Amino acid sequence: MDATLKLWLVILAVGLLNYLSRLSFIAVFARRTMPPLLARALKYVPAAMLTALIVPMIAADPAAGHALTFNPRIVAAAIAGVVAFYTRSSLWTMGTGMAALWVLQAVS
Amino acid sequence: MRRLLASPDFRAGFVEMLPACIGLIPFGLVCGVGASAAGASWLAALGMSAVIFSGAAQILAGQMLAGGAPLAIIVLTCFVLGLRFLMYSAAMAPYLTALPPRWQKALAFLLTDQAFASAIRRFNASNDPHAGAQHFLGAGMALYLCWQVTNMTGYFAGNVIPAAWSLEFAVPLCFLALVAPLLRDMPNVAAAVVAGVAVVVLGGLPMKLNLIAAGVIGIIVGTLADLMKERWTRR
Repeated sequence: MDATLKLWLVILAVGLLNYLSRLSFIAVFARRTMPPLLARALKYVPAAMLTALIVPMIAADPAAGHALTFNPRIVAAAIAGVVAFYTRSSLWTMGTGMAALWVLQAVS
Repeated sequence: MRRLLASPDFRAGFVEMLPACIGLIPFGLVCGVGASAAGASWLAALGMSAVIFSGAAQILAGQMLAGGAPLAIIVLTCFVLGLRFLMYSAAMAPYLTALPPRWQKALAFLLTDQAFASAIRRFNASNDPHAGAQHFLGAGMALYLCWQVTNMTGYFAGNVIPAAWSLEFAVPLCFLALVAPLLRDMPNVAAAVVAGVAVVVLGGLPMKLNLIAAGVIGIIVGTLADLMKERWTRR
């Protein structure tokens, strides 16, 4: 398939599915209550899906050759995680996480 | 339109989102860089940020496109990632039932992780659905504008950002800011830990299928843990 066409199909399909997910209970199923098991399962989508997305980004260090060498990203992410847990602020998480990474990269 | 822009609730929502917008600048830049790395034209890059309007899905789609994954797998993975919008939608629905359908359709488009968190706080604070809706519209528009500008800046100017800044690290940090505060109850911790381990263990799967597999396993474990916890506390 032509790469440009494929990219646009991804944009349209993902955009449409995202919009329908966002619209779902606000408009389409507005008069229905969610099945209890679905409501229970959806509560865990952010924790599961976002963690699965984050872990490879943190574990994969382009500079490190071996899996067991010191990876400043893991340490910086741990610090940022603690900050996020207590402050619930994206700004503080971003600030301390990036600062920690820069410091660790400078000293290691 | 002018009356809307002048409304104090719209303005309050817009202003309340500005700190979150600053936090999103690096993420938006990285998304723009990612679109350019995936070989997108500027119009397609704008299409990604303006139509998909979800950083997680944009990053993932870009990576999977660059890795040559089939269209169906890319769309399916992004769909599962976007299932969290179903939950946000259900949580927002009771506050929006009083609004006309065109308001509902517009507000749904602007539903994101950050806008959701802010809107729920606002709706809990007052009972006026129109004021809440205008507040949400203001917050959503601030995020939407910021997202388009930062994505385009990343697309055109991404190559001037020094690699030593490790700007791509901003992406996991953005999600960490959303996930870490959730880890206050056992089922959420179980879902996150299992998904995190599974995505590494299943790393050998092709086409990034480890992501969707780990996510689904984590959701199942979280749900089971929730059911067990309820049974335990009921005794």
